[in-house]
Amino acid sequence: MTGLAADRRTFLKGLGLLGAAALVPGCATSTSSPGSGSAATGELSLQSNLSSEQAKAAMEKVVAAYNKTGGSQVKLNTVAAEIFRTQLPTYLTSANPPDVYTWYAGSVADSYAKKDLLLDVSSVWDSMTNYPKSMQTLSTSSAGQKIFVPTSYYWWGMFYRKSNFAKWGVTPPKTWAEFVQVCKTIQSKGIPPIGIGLGDTPWVASAWFDYLNIRINGAPFHRQLLAGQGDFTDPKVKAVFTKWREVLPYFDPKGKSFPFQEATSALLAGKTGMFLIGTFFADSAPKDALDDIDFFQFPIIDPAVPVAEEAPTDGYFASKKAKDPDGVKKLMTWLATAEAQEIYVQSSSGTAIPANPDGKSADTPLVKKGKAMIEGAAELTQFFNRDSSDALQPTADAALTKFLDKPDQIDQILKTWQTAAEKVFKA
Amino acid sequence: MNRLKTSGYHVAMGLVSILWVAPILWVIVISFRSFDDVAANGLGSLPHSFTFSTYKSAWQDADEFRALINSLLVTIPAVLLSLGLASIAAYGLARYNIPFRRTILLLMLMGNLLPPQILLIPISRFVELIGYYDTLIALIAVHVGFGLGFYTFVLHGFMRDLPREIQEAATIDGAGPGKIYASVILPLTRPALAALGALSFTWIFNDLLWSITVIRSGEKMPVTPALLGLQGLFVSSWNVIAAGTVIAAVPTVAVFLRFQKHFVGGLAIGAVK
Repeated sequence: MTGLAADRRTFLKGLGLLGAAALVPGCATSTSSPGSGSAATGELSLQSNLSSEQAKAAMEKVVAAYNKTGGSQVKLNTVAAEIFRTQLPTYLTSANPPDVYTWYAGSVADSYAKKDLLLDVSSVWDSMTNYPKSMQTLSTSSAGQKIFVPTSYYWWGMFYRKSNFAKWGVTPPKTWAEFVQVCKTIQSKGIPPIGIGLGDTPWVASAWFDYLNIRINGAPFHRQLLAGQGDFTDPKVKAVFTKWREVLPYFDPKGKSFPFQEATSALLAGKTGMFLIGTFFADSAPKDALDDIDFFQFPIIDPAVPVAEEAPTDGYFASKKAKDPDGVKKLMTWLATAEAQEIYVQSSSGTAIPANPDGKSADTPLVKKGKAMIEGAAELTQFFNRDSSDALQPTADAALTKFLDKPDQIDQILKTWQTAAEKVFKA
Repeated sequence: MNRLKTSGYHVAMGLVSILWVAPILWVIVISFRSFDDVAANGLGSLPHSFTFSTYKSAWQDADEFRALINSLLVTIPAVLLSLGLASIAAYGLARYNIPFRRTILLLMLMGNLLPPQILLIPISRFVELIGYYDTLIALIAVHVGFGLGFYTFVLHGFMRDLPREIQEAATIDGAGPGKIYASVILPLTRPALAALGALSFTWIFNDLLWSITVIRSGEKMPVTPALLGLQGLFVSSWNVIAAGTVIAAVPTVAVFLRFQKHFVGGLAIGAVK
């Protein structure tokens, strides 16, 4: 730069050159951008949000196994779950999107199908004749196309330590009355009976709302409410909270300050009695504690209501703009096989159950019991956000945390919730 | 009396700095605990274990090495380029009677007053349109673009205060604008450049928002999103994340220690007229 010639004209000339240099790449790329990068390499890209160590390693094994079968090669691209969640709309609407994505079944997948962003994979389902009807329904868009291929699911339950229940002299309750009795007994020992972890993970409270609602009002009402066809100020919704208030004194008061992962530690350390949570919590439990863990089904409140359970289902969908739709369908057909799902289930945390009924799950008593509970259920729901949308979840978080703080303001809370939900549904 | 005052001051400030350092120490302690220890006793408890394996898994399994390389590949060119361009712009605006220079400067600064979030979608779409989506070049360009306004403003203030006579003397000796910039103004601006360099290094290195906006592939992600990647969907190994954070902090701490006095100088830039 010291060698720069010193008169004004050269300086200006230099500026002109700089400008031209800045323009050139702009022109060059704007002409070449259609198709650039999408150069047909015969490679499929799989965008995965399974970023935790175990799940990532399991996905790598699945992809490696598929790449050995021949056909197009799959390139796995793992990004952090949180980044994936916020960037998924950008991925799908970009000019050159990844081909296949990990995602959730149900209305969260359908919301992208409604925007016409997903590949119709009905032909993949021709090979999936052994899948139960519930899975089919979950994978079908509101336009009637199959857009999703489920690969695994897990369950929610009231988890506890067997040794602690024995120590306190309580047995797993089946009905609501028994459940309240168990809470009373545990509290009399000086232990907060019901653990929860709402700091950073306020969505955990939605499990209580979901379960109370499907136990009292049934799964169809629950789904309609979450789809915007109901009203949160409905007396039937208020009944859910009235029931919830009965056990509110038994919640761990510390639960508002720490995330569910810490609440898991509290349960394992015997600082709380029970914990309504999904099986993923087992990943954050020390291995030696797992043998002592058991769960019971969320207590039955009204025997007349068909029993529904939460069974969040994971799987894959593909972009409508996939460069090689046949290759994508071939990959998804393979992912739907019992063989592929077993590879994943065996290498991941071990509590996921293959979606393919022929797929073998982990052979532990806990998983067997969970699988039996789900198979025995008359109806399956996903989870609050999966049955509605990621946009509705924050409205639930706000309403439920407020309720846990100020249960006597329930009418006002439900009104606010309804207003917030209407905004989401209109958006 | 004076002694009492001094020791009182030191005790009070000592307590404040302990408060300040405590979270960092906490992260370091967690980074040496094993997963089972954290899971069984909670994050807040005293350590019951000691292990280096967290650092190994952060470095190898999470591929933090590649992420750090990516970060440096972005940060170093972005710092050099933005400071180079900003100093040229500031030189022109501060030392020559360019028409509307005040407006130009305010316009550049105005861009910095916009919250970056409202530009996320336009930028991601634009980068895609020109075919640079998912490249480190796009990330460098974004950082240069965003830094330019502020750096120019700061350097302009600094260069404006350099004595007019120096430039006049150089002109009499036959130096043109380019020569004056390179041999006279730039060396005199070094303190400001060093301060801005140190500040911008930490800003760009610690950025998360832009990297996840313009980059899609895991292997191209800089270190901040890579750290986020250590968090699972539900469950996170906080000990490994803590270890990863400690590793990721090393470059910025190194830059800080090297340019310590400029950091303080940098904060005072523009304070003295």
